[in-house]
Amino acid sequence: MGGGFRVLHLVRPFLAFLPEVQSADRKVPFREKVIYTVISLFIFLVCSQLPLYGIHSTTGADPFYWMRVILASNRGTVMELGITPIVTSGLVMQLLAGSKIIEVDNNVREDRALLNGAQKLLGILIAIGEAVAYVLSGMYGPVGQLGVGNAILIILQLFFAGIIVICLDELLQKGYGLGSGISLFIATNICESIIWKAFSPTTINTGRGAEFEGAVIALFHMLITKSNKVAALRQAFYRQNLPNVTNLLATVLIFLIVIYFQGFRVVLPVRSKNARGQQGSYPIKLFYTSNMPIILQSALVSNLYFISQLLYRKFSGNFFVNLLGQWKESEYSGQSIPVSGLAYLITAPASFSDMAAHPFHALFYIVFMLTACALFSKTWIEVSGSSARDVAKQLKEQQMVMPGHRESNLQKELNRYIPTAAAFGGVCIGALTVLADFMGAIGSGTGILLAVTIIYQYFETFEKEKASELGFFGF
Amino acid sequence: MARGSSQSQQSTSTASSTARPGLAAPRGSAAATAGMRRRRLGGGGSVSSGGGSAAGSGSSNMLRFYTDEAPGLKISPTVVLIMSLCFIGFVTALHVFGKLYLHKSGSQA
Repeated sequence: MGGGFRVLHLVRPFLAFLPEVQSADRKVPFREKVIYTVISLFIFLVCSQLPLYGIHSTTGADPFYWMRVILASNRGTVMELGITPIVTSGLVMQLLAGSKIIEVDNNVREDRALLNGAQKLLGILIAIGEAVAYVLSGMYGPVGQLGVGNAILIILQLFFAGIIVICLDELLQKGYGLGSGISLFIATNICESIIWKAFSPTTINTGRGAEFEGAVIALFHMLITKSNKVAALRQAFYRQNLPNVTNLLATVLIFLIVIYFQGFRVVLPVRSKNARGQQGSYPIKLFYTSNMPIILQSALVSNLYFISQLLYRKFSGNFFVNLLGQWKESEYSGQSIPVSGLAYLITAPASFSDMAAHPFHALFYIVFMLTACALFSKTWIEVSGSSARDVAKQLKEQQMVMPGHRESNLQKELNRYIPTAAAFGGVCIGALTVLADFMGAIGSGTGILLAVTIIYQYFETFEKEKASELGFFGF
Repeated sequence: MARGSSQSQQSTSTASSTARPGLAAPRGSAAATAGMRRRRLGGGGSVSSGGGSAAGSGSSNMLRFYTDEAPGLKISPTVVLIMSLCFIGFVTALHVFGKLYLHKSGSQA
């Protein structure tokens, strides 16, 4: 450093143009927070239903279908990009800062401002870049057919939607709302799809006559219309290709299991060094890194899919490309699915019967998931600054000690728990994801796990808010 | 986790730590620790709440981007909401006009 060139300073000229939500200068009452959150959510939901103007078609293989769930995006709508720009820029910046490629001194106010500005700027640039790439790659029909005017309009719409998501997220985080915008949007998207699959009133003809898409509605419909009640029940529970009641029950079961596990924690007693009698506790949760391992794992998998798919389309004969993954279009949805190679091995088997038919695939998938989650979890505590060393430093700053241990022992003591909690928690999260996938839970294992952990975090925030201002909670 | 409140909590906690006799740190480092504390997510004054939020920090660290003050185009939260609604209205209008225009050109042709 020392007055030399710093990458962060490149951002400074742009800082004045970046939109920035004012911080709340007073404490926003709980009720107002709820209102802000609900309005933001409403805007997000409308945006994810509103179709883009000027697109021709959204048919053809959707190369990002596996990412849609965790990125809260909807095909062909204004929310096409979802939270991709924010999450990508955030990940990139965290990794750059964590690996010391760009130097950030968190104690310097200006540095933090610059880092934030850089993150936002990168997010906006990614939004523009992706919008242009989407249009040029012909996702909405060939550019010649769209016309230049429409193409520009589409890019503008996507760009504005990106800015709006960034602003809404910032609005919620600056203390006007509850939690963070990103997790709110992810959770909403997943819950929406679960509700839709359970109660969707659309009918689909699958060759056995018209059937309702929603599992619950289909159950009642079949029970009422069919004369053979046992066959009707069996079909409602086990029908293929459409959400069935078993899937729904599996989803509920996974929800309950995850919530049960959230309560597992080791509580370390701590005591203030100065203020006598001020006791406290430092809980270390089993899910220490919460849903980060699966976010990172799915980011890795989706990137691998993307590269493999791209390569397969260009050089399908190549031995190494085939080793990475071979793809085939599914006859139901028109989506490409991996049929062999590495990409196939790291995809969840479709069902228990599929698992029995290909035991090696199932085994590889399980081992891959568990290892990846454990490793990502362990890496994440280092990157995000929640490792034993950082926690010890924090506690020391707050003048806290553990009774019965010397101050220098604090880190060692924490080291006994934190890495274990991180690795084991990662494995547990991975195992739950695998379980959810095998049981065919609605919205993929990753999606469910994300949704539950986020909802649980929201629940905790709610409780905390309620406790901090008991009088206002009259909603 | 309103910004204003957490700041006020922090300021009281730093004040108490500097006011303590014998432990009063030099001015510069006190400011530095204040900065560190501000950085910490939801950093409450009491340990139990601080610990609670830190335990969840593994995940929320990434999902919490723009919590700090930065110079820029200041807009109030109401403006954000109105801006988004205007955007939605604009796209809807585009759709409507697009339909009308297509209809007209279709009838002409």
